[in-house]
Amino acid sequence: MKIEVNGNRAGDKDSGCALCGATWGNYYEEIDGEKLFFCCEMCATGFKNMIKEVKYRTGWKAIDNLSIEGNYYRGRTCVAENEEKRYKFYLKFDDNAKIATFEQIE
Amino acid sequence: MHSMAKKSDPSHVMWINRNLTSKEVNVDKFSTMLEKFFSYNTLSSWIRERLIEKFYGKSPHPFIIGMQNPSRGLLLGYVIEHQHFLKNWVKVLSEIIFKTDIEEVMKYELANISTEYLGYKGMPSHYELLIRMGESLGVPRERILGYKPLPSTVSALNEWRRIALERNWVEIMAAMHSLELMADKTLRKYGARMHYFNENILYNNDFPQEVKDFLGEGYKMDQSHAGEALEFVDKYAKDPEKIQVTVLRSFNALANYLTARLERGIEFDKNLMRLVSLS
Repeated sequence: MKIEVNGNRAGDKDSGCALCGATWGNYYEEIDGEKLFFCCEMCATGFKNMIKEVKYRTGWKAIDNLSIEGNYYRGRTCVAENEEKRYKFYLKFDDNAKIATFEQIE
Repeated sequence: MHSMAKKSDPSHVMWINRNLTSKEVNVDKFSTMLEKFFSYNTLSSWIRERLIEKFYGKSPHPFIIGMQNPSRGLLLGYVIEHQHFLKNWVKVLSEIIFKTDIEEVMKYELANISTEYLGYKGMPSHYELLIRMGESLGVPRERILGYKPLPSTVSALNEWRRIALERNWVEIMAAMHSLELMADKTLRKYGARMHYFNENILYNNDFPQEVKDFLGEGYKMDQSHAGEALEFVDKYAKDPEKIQVTVLRSFNALANYLTARLERGIEFDKNLMRLVSLS
């Protein structure tokens, strides 16, 4: 999965956390067969919840590209891509990294 | 703190990401950044600087951007979530009164509670003006009062309630009244890129009188409210560092809460979705 956070590549220690882009920390999780870097467990949980929700809503088995714009306070506007298909959405996490708001953007 | 962040401790990483830097730096640079971040001339000036940086700096909060040309939907989002804020506001201020023995502080908070919730010197309360604004935008009072707060509002209200229960009265005062600086007319003098809302709203005929009444009242009052309260904070602060940390908690709650107003507004006006993309 190719990930961009606020316009920059993300997902490994050098580029930053797959959800927020921060380079602090040393936390990794394997997601869809890929080892991804996160600054903390909270971001990893949020990311997994987001991927699960997108797959559930789209019926996709995998996400090829994911672009994330925003932050915890303001919510995140994201674009997920699977082959030629594109799904744009807004989401905001609660204090426990569960999805509080999820809206598809036409 | 630095070593905890390097070990991915969530509370430390999140605090540093949200307040200092999201890019890992070595311990020496980190110490310098932390010292610079917390240094101040007066506590009140430090609070103002932090507020401007977070809400009016290079990336103003999307709700504030929306308030430069507000739609009916955005104002309704404001009304529906803010009714819950105002109820919580007076409860938290009551805790300051409970915890202090200083008479000028007690009187100040009682006057503030009266203005916000009961009405003062024959004027309707800010709470009443808020509901009237919602009615003027076409939503009946009963329907406004029937809305439950959105999750981000609940999260923010809970944080302010925790501050009220856990911290001393000076910290609570700093945490709450610094929020009133949001509508301070003079912020631009200190570097804010815009005002809380476009002041032309008060002088043109694009909005119902009730909208002007509510926004105009806050515009007149919040500067003096916040200014006087922060003078108390400067005067009575015994542990400035704890006050600073508590104010930052309050600002984080505010950022969340402002997003809730925007999210509620989107229920009425899907075009507001463009604002969330401005993050």
